[in-house]
Amino acid sequence: MGAHTLEPARWWRRRQEPLVLAVVALLVAAAVLVPLVSLAAGVFARDGAAAFAVLGSPRVRTLFARSLALAAAATVLALAAGLPLGLWLGRATFRGRRVVLLVHAFPLFLPPFLVALGWFHLLGRTGARVLLFGPAGVGAVLGFAFAPLVTALVALAVEAVDPALVDAARAVARPARVATHVLLPLAWPAAALGGLVVFVLAFSELGVPLFLGVTVYPAEVFVRLAAFGNLAEATALCVPLVAVGWLVLVLERALGARPLAALGLRSGLRAPPPPAAAPRGRRLARAAALSLALAPALLPLAGLAWRAAAGHAFAHLGGRLGDSVATSLAAGAAGATAITALALVLGHAVVRRRRVAAVADALAVLGFVVPATVLALGLVAAWNRPATRLVYGSLAILVLGFVARYAVVGVRTFAVAVAQASPHLEEAAAAHGGSYLQRLARIVVPLHARGAVAAWLLAFLFCLRDVETAILYYPPGRDPLPVRIFALEANGGDALVAGLSLVQVALTAAALAAVAALLLVRRRHPA
Amino acid sequence: MTGIPSAAAAAAPALALDAVALRYGPRDVLAGLTLSVGAGEVLALLGPSGSGKSTVVRLVLGLAAPDAGEVRVGGALVSSAGRVVVPPEERGLGVVFQDLALWPHLTVRGNLAFGLSARGVPRHDRHRRIDAMLARVGLSDRAACRPGELSGGERQRVAIARALVLEPRAVLLDEPLSSLDVLLRRELVIVFRALLHERGIPALYVTHEPREAAALGDRIAVLEAGRVVQEGTLDALRARPASPFVEQLLADLTPPGPAPPGPAPPGPAHG
Repeated sequence: MGAHTLEPARWWRRRQEPLVLAVVALLVAAAVLVPLVSLAAGVFARDGAAAFAVLGSPRVRTLFARSLALAAAATVLALAAGLPLGLWLGRATFRGRRVVLLVHAFPLFLPPFLVALGWFHLLGRTGARVLLFGPAGVGAVLGFAFAPLVTALVALAVEAVDPALVDAARAVARPARVATHVLLPLAWPAAALGGLVVFVLAFSELGVPLFLGVTVYPAEVFVRLAAFGNLAEATALCVPLVAVGWLVLVLERALGARPLAALGLRSGLRAPPPPAAAPRGRRLARAAALSLALAPALLPLAGLAWRAAAGHAFAHLGGRLGDSVATSLAAGAAGATAITALALVLGHAVVRRRRVAAVADALAVLGFVVPATVLALGLVAAWNRPATRLVYGSLAILVLGFVARYAVVGVRTFAVAVAQASPHLEEAAAAHGGSYLQRLARIVVPLHARGAVAAWLLAFLFCLRDVETAILYYPPGRDPLPVRIFALEANGGDALVAGLSLVQVALTAAALAAVAALLLVRRRHPA
Repeated sequence: MTGIPSAAAAAAPALALDAVALRYGPRDVLAGLTLSVGAGEVLALLGPSGSGKSTVVRLVLGLAAPDAGEVRVGGALVSSAGRVVVPPEERGLGVVFQDLALWPHLTVRGNLAFGLSARGVPRHDRHRRIDAMLARVGLSDRAACRPGELSGGERQRVAIARALVLEPRAVLLDEPLSSLDVLLRRELVIVFRALLHERGIPALYVTHEPREAAALGDRIAVLEAGRVVQEGTLDALRARPASPFVEQLLADLTPPGPAPPGPAPPGPAHG
């Protein structure tokens, strides 16, 4: 029964899945690989050998080592804070636990330089000069800003642990021993993944080091392009960054798919049992843990609010915001929609272990782990041509960049949702005559509508906070809000910048509130 | 729309597996398994956990391909070594999984309608067949409910109705009653037997429970370690068990004939 003997309708039914998957995989490959290949090709076309000489300079080597050290320090701090908090929040039963986790996670969805700005205003110029400016401050700000990622992953992993395992251990051991000998080993893959992602984000970070007066490797790439217009040297400097990205990708693959399940919304957070009165010692410990969870999130925001209010910034915000909010929302929404559309196909195929999906998924991960500067330069090299002015000069380039960098967020979120349901639901649909597209449209997507909405919202949040990629190629006059804040920050006007930052905070809070509502709503159709 | 020519189905067994083998890693899940289900026949595939029963269902449905051997539906080759020749949606089969796999976002009517519309049954005919099937299983007044609003027994009825409303070439039932209490199981065995026999739809009923196999199967095939060790009517199996394993498996059944399943006596469970 060869394909050539099939009538067209049956041929199409049988080819739906491979064809749709191939198209989606090609789109992801185009979004991620075209910039990277263009970047490489550009260097060799422009006297690459001379450009590569820059890699041998002692300054470049020092900056590279410094960036690695700062990313490692931020990772260690994020693990030190996030791991115990995650273990605690994953097992805690007090009322308001979900709110604590969401508030704790809030800085993760802000451009990190906004957090640095908040600390700066809170500490004052003198305090900031002592505590904030310099490599230690950069490591601390990034560590605390990204720690919620570790917290959330570990908390979700701990929640997924069979309660019987913990009960069995509690019968013979104290809670601390249960945490270190049972929960910690089980949650370790999630913590390791969290550490890996923190390292990637910290290594890519441009805004915080620039603001705190520390020259880092990605900043050097930025300066070569923005200040000297030397694309060849900037591209040559990207080679070690690509190597780091590739190494992280290999490590992520080595961690396997299981811990990645925690990247999404495995179950929301389970409803806690009614709180019991805790003894005094435990109440103190809880207060300390709550402080550790909430202070790094709330204090910088308080600093921003205080500075904006003291400088009467709110009256002047309208004129300085311009179109930036509309640009942020439009590009973010378009990016999140495109990402979700890809994720519905790819996330499902990843769970069903389709080979093409594994490749496309690896490319999506590559887009995320390759330092943002590399991807941004690649987009410039690929699209800044007369023939593609229509794309490069419009919001489309922002959307393309978002898809390239954050597709993995949507794909993994939807994949987690699909993985939660019994595969029999789809297998029954296939056995009862449903073609691939019928199953996708009438079973998979409606069944996991909540996962699709979560994928959109998370992708939107990541697009909304992006500054490190967009800053290199945003279309003239269409700068997103974080880019505008970053640019204004360099030109003074503390109160105004703090006020604009609060607008960014409000936008993020609104989107995050939607995520929270989604998580808190009980599942209507438990699968 | 099925990918199996009707001419092929005329005289051939409804389902046939010939020397089928499948390995998962180092383990032989199926090792040269051969069995067939005749027209209008209910074959009970009886075996303990891990004997490969559910793998047989997956192979027949086309959800996996055998490493060796052939699978035929209505005489037509649907899977051969390493290859799914006809995809699941074109095999014209019905299935009831152990977890039932009712689509929770669809109503009872929606669950029954999915397969009919996927197979291109016109709307008017679809409604008529769904109404008749729901009336037959006593769920006419539950058509607008979602699975989450139904009792355990009602869900089982929806699952079997969803499979049978398609008028499939054969239906596969993979331990559909294993999660139910004894009384409900006893009631539903009677319902299943009546539905299958009155429609003459060939069925492969997979179970680890000898009483279910005895009550539902026209013949019983005993599966052990990936191969059929004995096959025949209950009386034949009991009269001349091929091995101590078969003898032990059937030891719990009360002679002389098949009886509805009752409370399991104490002893080692096969599940």
